[in-house]
Amino acid sequence: MQERVKLTDAEINRDLLRSTVESPRGYWIIIGALAFVVLCGVVSAGFMFNRGLGLTGLNRPVMWGFFITNFVFWIGISHAGVMLSAILRLTQAEWRRPATRAAEILTLFSLMTAMLMPLIHAGRPWRVFYWVFPYDWARGIFPNIRTPLVWDPAAVFTYLTSTILFVYIALIPDIAVLRDRTTGVRHAIYSVLSLGWRGTSRQWRLQLIAGILLSAIILPIFVSVHSIVSWDFGMAIAVEAWHSTIFAPYFVIGAVHSGVSGVVTVMILLRYMFRWENYIRLEHLDALAKLLIVVATTWLFFFMLEFVFGLYAREAPELALRELQTSQMPWAGLAITFLITAYLFPVPMWMFRNVRRSVKWMLITTISVNIGMWLERFLIIVPSLARKQGFTFTWGTYAPSPIEIIIVTASFCMVLMLVLLFAKAFPLIPIADAKEAMILADHIQIGKKKVPAVMREE
Amino acid sequence: MHELHHFPPPAVLNMTAQEVTQDRLENQPAGDRFKRAGLLLAVIFAVGFVTVVMKIAGGFGSRSEWGYHAAAFAYLLLTAQSAVLVSVALRMVKAHWRRSLARVSEMFAMVGLFNFLVFIPLLWVLPSTENRLSLWFDLPGNSPHIWDTLTMAILVLCGLGLLYFASIPDLATIRDHSEGKKMIRYRRLAMGWEGTPKQWKSLHAGLGVLGGFYFMMLIYAHAMISVDFSMSLVPGWKDAIFPTYHALSGLQAGLATLIVTLFILRRFGGLNTYIEVDQFWALSKILLATCLLWFYFWWAGFFTYWYGRTPAEQGVLQYIMFETYRIPFFSAFVLCFPMPFLILMWNIMRKTDWGPTLAASFVLLGAMFNVVRMYVPAFAIEDPTSHALKVMPVANWPSISDILGFAGVIAGAILVYMLSSRVFPLISLWEVKEGMLLQRIRTFLKTEIRVMGKPE
Repeated sequence: MQERVKLTDAEINRDLLRSTVESPRGYWIIIGALAFVVLCGVVSAGFMFNRGLGLTGLNRPVMWGFFITNFVFWIGISHAGVMLSAILRLTQAEWRRPATRAAEILTLFSLMTAMLMPLIHAGRPWRVFYWVFPYDWARGIFPNIRTPLVWDPAAVFTYLTSTILFVYIALIPDIAVLRDRTTGVRHAIYSVLSLGWRGTSRQWRLQLIAGILLSAIILPIFVSVHSIVSWDFGMAIAVEAWHSTIFAPYFVIGAVHSGVSGVVTVMILLRYMFRWENYIRLEHLDALAKLLIVVATTWLFFFMLEFVFGLYAREAPELALRELQTSQMPWAGLAITFLITAYLFPVPMWMFRNVRRSVKWMLITTISVNIGMWLERFLIIVPSLARKQGFTFTWGTYAPSPIEIIIVTASFCMVLMLVLLFAKAFPLIPIADAKEAMILADHIQIGKKKVPAVMREE
Repeated sequence: MHELHHFPPPAVLNMTAQEVTQDRLENQPAGDRFKRAGLLLAVIFAVGFVTVVMKIAGGFGSRSEWGYHAAAFAYLLLTAQSAVLVSVALRMVKAHWRRSLARVSEMFAMVGLFNFLVFIPLLWVLPSTENRLSLWFDLPGNSPHIWDTLTMAILVLCGLGLLYFASIPDLATIRDHSEGKKMIRYRRLAMGWEGTPKQWKSLHAGLGVLGGFYFMMLIYAHAMISVDFSMSLVPGWKDAIFPTYHALSGLQAGLATLIVTLFILRRFGGLNTYIEVDQFWALSKILLATCLLWFYFWWAGFFTYWYGRTPAEQGVLQYIMFETYRIPFFSAFVLCFPMPFLILMWNIMRKTDWGPTLAASFVLLGAMFNVVRMYVPAFAIEDPTSHALKVMPVANWPSISDILGFAGVIAGAILVYMLSSRVFPLISLWEVKEGMLLQRIRTFLKTEIRVMGKPE
């Protein structure tokens, strides 16, 4: 049942622009606290660059740890965004409207954060040049383009560029609204950014076509990005558990699972902070929770296939790894926590309508999913490397150092801070979309009952 | 908002509920054309049946002789049994345009019953799991025989339950509009349906549960069958994505089956009032998405193997893709991805009834080549106990009896579907009428648009 509230254009403008003109109580305190943690992360990273990677817990044979886990996690979160926005746009799901902008913004900032992680992991960020760019033309020394580690930057940069375009094109009408309501420097900036938008039929038509085209183009890009990230692992035959054909779709669906959950978390925070109850309604949380049930169950199916086919060939290194993951502490404890938080707790909860329509429970369950999904990436990367070698005397283990913990924590604070700062500059719910929803809303009379209806978009 | 109105309003909106009932009850499929087609299919089926009986009489000693029979069984699993899922999925997402095709899709559950019979002889040629790789690890050697049979049986029962449950209101309608023996027969089938609010509530809840269960069982069946009857028989084939690829091929082929069936019913079955271009347009977009997904899943599996280049992986690629069975593989590839993609990428093609049907026909043909390259090689290996293909077996090309057997299975499936249409109305009357209640045509600015009720 659609629970929409009839709002005028003026009310929509007032409500959705509130975030840009007013600061809710505690807003700057939150920003300050987040900025402090980010600063700690920056200082820690600087200290690590100065002293070297010895400050981390990385050691032979586990040379990928918290940073790479965090890289995969944020790439995953970035998927939801555009996936949710593009697919819901293409399928014209009516309930997409309040979710799209938050999803796109989360994509943008999580992608930027993800890209920082390999740089930090390199220990000497400038060495990344050697990794990606030809660095000695005279002697013809080129990076090895046959490795997925080189495909990664290409894919991620393409994704970032198209995401920026995607966000920007959708923002133009709203920027024009801001331009018309501001003065001084802000007015000048919005004037430039709005590209002379006047809301003519032609402009709307072009904006709509651009949105559809970008949606269609960005979907293959989003699939390719996480597939390529998965191939960082899947193409490595030396690490038994990684060389699995299902890794690409398994990573993509896992990314969608964690990303959509992340979008719901952000939507709930925005709803609370900017009093957007009339826009981010319980029906939207309900619909997103139903989508999450499907996504999570598909993800679980892929996870089970990955696990079972790991055992299928009954090869000794693979069995040693599975034994480590399932029966030795702390890995076994982490594995149980991961399964409970990523699936066994949230999904049965979402089966209940009351949970799907509870802001509090949706916040708890979606945060739970992301705790689980972070652990999932950690459990894919670290135990596999710990058991990489054929000889037992070269097996190792890994524990993160305080530096790594601070930097990873700072990455979470950075994404949240950037989202909140973005809300000060641009509306996080598309104004034009909210108005269009009001135009398309209708009702039909069936007997004595008035049924909510929507004009069909084609 | 742009070009709000692409298609004329559905013709059915110009009719009353009574007219819909009358139209469908008076125009059940029959006539000379129906009978002639039925007779031809019965003959092909009978010939195929004889070849299968002769194979059974010859014993189950050589597994390779059953390769094409296994492929025929898998083909029906991929096409007919997966076609039921279209209705289930569309009902779950409450797509209004599904209403007139729901029964056409669900009736493929009857073909599932037929396919179960096709499945039974294969149990005798499936080797035990002693000393070979299997999903069943240390469980008794006959685990695949037991669990796969149970899986297929539950899938079939679930499909039949879904078809029957979704048909009850229509069976009651036929009961109320018939006399004599027919009325008695339908009275039994309608199980006292009176259309009370409680009955409607139970119907909707039951359809939700059965649909969800069918969905899970079908995916599970694809996973089990693909591994036990195909992958685990080929030494060195360890491919975690394969069950999902198989299930996805099923979704694609099931959708294609439905599109081709709808085209035939629209053009030759007199259902053009209910099955309109709108349905083809919507289905074609999903078919396009499944074609892209098909390619992605194939590519993810292939690429990991190709890049890994271990000897076992190389052997599998040579055997089922690039050397021994390269003809069926390349045929399947071209027909399942580039051909339908090149057709469906154009909106102008999607907005016809023949464009999606042409693409769907390619997919159906591709799915046939695909099951041949997956199952025939697997059944051609006499000793599946080694860890990698040491000697590449020669290709097992079809004999006359294999072709007749394959054709017989397909003809039998179509015949079962046609005969089922004599019992169940091909259009889900209650769903179409429900859709009529929830749709209105209204004027918006200078155009007419459709307004869709969203009661849930």
